Amino acid sequence: MAKVHEITVWTRGVIMDKEGRDVINIFAKAAQMDGKHAQAFDNYEDLPDRVLVTTRKYVRLSDEEIEHKYVYTNDEPEVVVILEATIVKGIDILRGMKKGGTLIINTNRSIDSMLKFIPNAKLLGTIATVDADGITGVRTVDFSGSEGGVDTSGIGKGIASPVCGAIAKVTGMIKKENLAKIVSDVSGMERGYKEVKIKKLG
Amino acid sequence: MAKEQMMTGCRAAAEGAKAAEVEVICSYPIRPYTAIMMELAKMVANGELNAEFIHGEGEHAQVSVVLGASASGARAFTGSSGVGVTYAMEVYSPMAGGRYPAQMSIADRTLDPPGDFGSEHTDAMSTRDQGWLLGWACSPQEVYDNTLISYRVGEDHRVMLPQMVCQDGYFISHIPDKVILGERSQVKEFLPPYRPIGPLSITHPVSHGPQIRPDQGAPMDAMRAQTFLAVPKVIEEATADFNRIFGRKYDPFVEQYKLKDADIAFFIMGAHSNTCRTSVDRLRKKGVKAGMARLRWVRPWPTHQLAEALGHVKAVGVVETSTSYGGAMRGGNLIHELRASLYDLDKRPLVTSFMAGLGGETIWPADFDYMAKVLTEMVKEKRTKNYVYWIGM
Repeated sequence: MAKVHEITVWTRGVIMDKEGRDVINIFAKAAQMDGKHAQAFDNYEDLPDRVLVTTRKYVRLSDEEIEHKYVYTNDEPEVVVILEATIVKGIDILRGMKKGGTLIINTNRSIDSMLKFIPNAKLLGTIATVDADGITGVRTVDFSGSEGGVDTSGIGKGIASPVCGAIAKVTGMIKKENLAKIVSDVSGMERGYKEVKIKKLG
Repeated sequence: MAKEQMMTGCRAAAEGAKAAEVEVICSYPIRPYTAIMMELAKMVANGELNAEFIHGEGEHAQVSVVLGASASGARAFTGSSGVGVTYAMEVYSPMAGGRYPAQMSIADRTLDPPGDFGSEHTDAMSTRDQGWLLGWACSPQEVYDNTLISYRVGEDHRVMLPQMVCQDGYFISHIPDKVILGERSQVKEFLPPYRPIGPLSITHPVSHGPQIRPDQGAPMDAMRAQTFLAVPKVIEEATADFNRIFGRKYDPFVEQYKLKDADIAFFIMGAHSNTCRTSVDRLRKKGVKAGMARLRWVRPWPTHQLAEALGHVKAVGVVETSTSYGGAMRGGNLIHELRASLYDLDKRPLVTSFMAGLGGETIWPADFDYMAKVLTEMVKEKRTKNYVYWIGM
């Protein structure tokens, strides 16, 4: 069985839930366009989401069909994406990550100032920041809940586009050209790709 | 040509109800089935579906509302999960006894305790003696398909019975999978409009559900039992038509996977059959002649089809995702009826059961390996050592 890559996205309930959902759906779709096998889904235990509580969204990628799909959580994320910067303060967001993993944060703060707040930062091989809010100026697109994370209406109108651009640049797991065919805000995605700040750590 | 879409089981159930052009929907929220109603509410609000959407004040009211709707000639749809399914218990028998072919879409959830969001089949299995048609899907695609097949079977005048279309909570209800929705013309060809028998009407007043005398009880019950004898043929016809029109390959009652030359077999229903199927492949690579029988209908129970499918196997392991405390086999429910189905065979398999996936736990590939080991030992020793094994403890 081929290796399954795990990507975990942290967001906040209701007001930013749609953004998190868009990130995983865009990510999975872009990977599928590249011939990869991908799953995108909500963390079931975080649902139904409450306003502002942290909720998790997951992507799994593999070169082969992902045989065992009934696993509730991503236990060993290689890439963690934080859609709202203050989430890093209260939660061990890198839990389960193996040494050398990647963290991408939506923030206008500097990488070094963010690093101060991250528990277990020594696990990281790469950290990156992208000011997605600054790029789109839009955070909340849609309050409508849709359990199961498959509502793709207006996909990528908000911060998901620059965030996915940044993910493509930092991880190389998805291609910018594919993203451009999926997201509604292509220029926001391009800016995220271009403007993401990346730092390699020991 | 219809194209493949990614959708959850909940969305697939809603799409099925929409394709069936249901006329009355009654909702009450409980996870995980809630998402079915979220989707349907959007469809009604967007004008994609012309249905009366009623908020019940609880599950008892939900089933009562669809009973009334069905009695007055509407194709009606409701659903629930976990304790919601059991809260409505009183109305199940009137619904079946009154021969109202409405549909209830169930996304299984544990009862209290533990009351977590995970899937256990005990909720809907508890209703199996209430006279409903009862079946399980193992993918969002099958949820969509079973929604249509169940309406067709339930509304057939040889049947006229309500249906529960069940799917595992989370595993099916909340994980997106590939689904091909039917074309309008396909659905039209497969599912005729609902033709009620003697519906409630202002212009032609009729009485439904009157009190009957004790001596009328036995004949009525016998008629209801008789009806169930006629259901299998209707299911066979409907499945054959469905397969032809929609290009699927369903066995009406039991999916048989690598069973023909199997020494040991898993007997299972619902989502975990997908992990089971890949486990059978893995075990076969290791030289273990394993197979799987997946049950599609619990009511009517396919007695003869199971005897035929499993009679030649040396040992069967029933993977139970529901509980029957104090029952004959000390664990789950399915083993009772499977053993009964095999009893009249001259040579019958050894049968044990595995309590697995309770509380909504994932059943891991390694768990199936363990079950296969138990079954292989049974074959070697030519006896059933235990009625039940508890997995994942």
